[in-house]
Amino acid sequence: MEKKRTPKNIFVEGAISPEKIAKSIANHSSKTDIGGHSIFLGQVRADQKEDGIVKAIEYTAYEDMALQQAYEIREAVFSKYPLSCMHIYHSLGEVKTGEICLFVFTSSKHRKAAIDACEELVERIKKELPIWGKEILDNESSEWKVNT
Amino acid sequence: MKILAFGKIVELLGKTELELDNMPNTDILLGFLQQQYPELKNMKFSLAVNKKQVTGNTEIPQGAEVALLPPFSGG
Repeated sequence: MEKKRTPKNIFVEGAISPEKIAKSIANHSSKTDIGGHSIFLGQVRADQKEDGIVKAIEYTAYEDMALQQAYEIREAVFSKYPLSCMHIYHSLGEVKTGEICLFVFTSSKHRKAAIDACEELVERIKKELPIWGKEILDNESSEWKVNT
Repeated sequence: MKILAFGKIVELLGKTELELDNMPNTDILLGFLQQQYPELKNMKFSLAVNKKQVTGNTEIPQGAEVALLPPFSGG
């Protein structure tokens, strides 16, 4: 009884709140076949750049394409690992340093699948989703973020 | 066809969208864009035709949506 999945919105306007993350964890308490969760949280770092210190990142995306790509990544990871649940959230708009901009959450019967799937998702999200971060510096200038 | 710009390319073009005609493939489109916006020659970016990333010269269907995508930097 495979559940048919359709593209889900992964985008959140602004920072992802700790309350949202806590609620998302709590939502799984009724799913008692789960034995392990793995969570990745991306946080905006106050990098020192040549022209100043990063105080926020402003995210934009090619939303239609990103949601389609996210759907394909989701399907691929679901078919590779025995997962019970998978949730992906990415910020759009401004996220200040210290705030959360990416939330990836996988759950499975046993820890290994959840951990491996979570890691693979984070790598693929950063590499394959058409999302761009513009780093806003403390002197109000900006530069485009480069993923390493 | 509709040309969509993203990230740094929006700043370079000064807009997020262009409307163009008679661009049968991506090589011709790129040639035209680089002539209009010479700075594009120094930029790394890829193309998506109807939301699919393409490599090499690719046919552009009538009324397609072509996106100019700088290297992704989400997360």
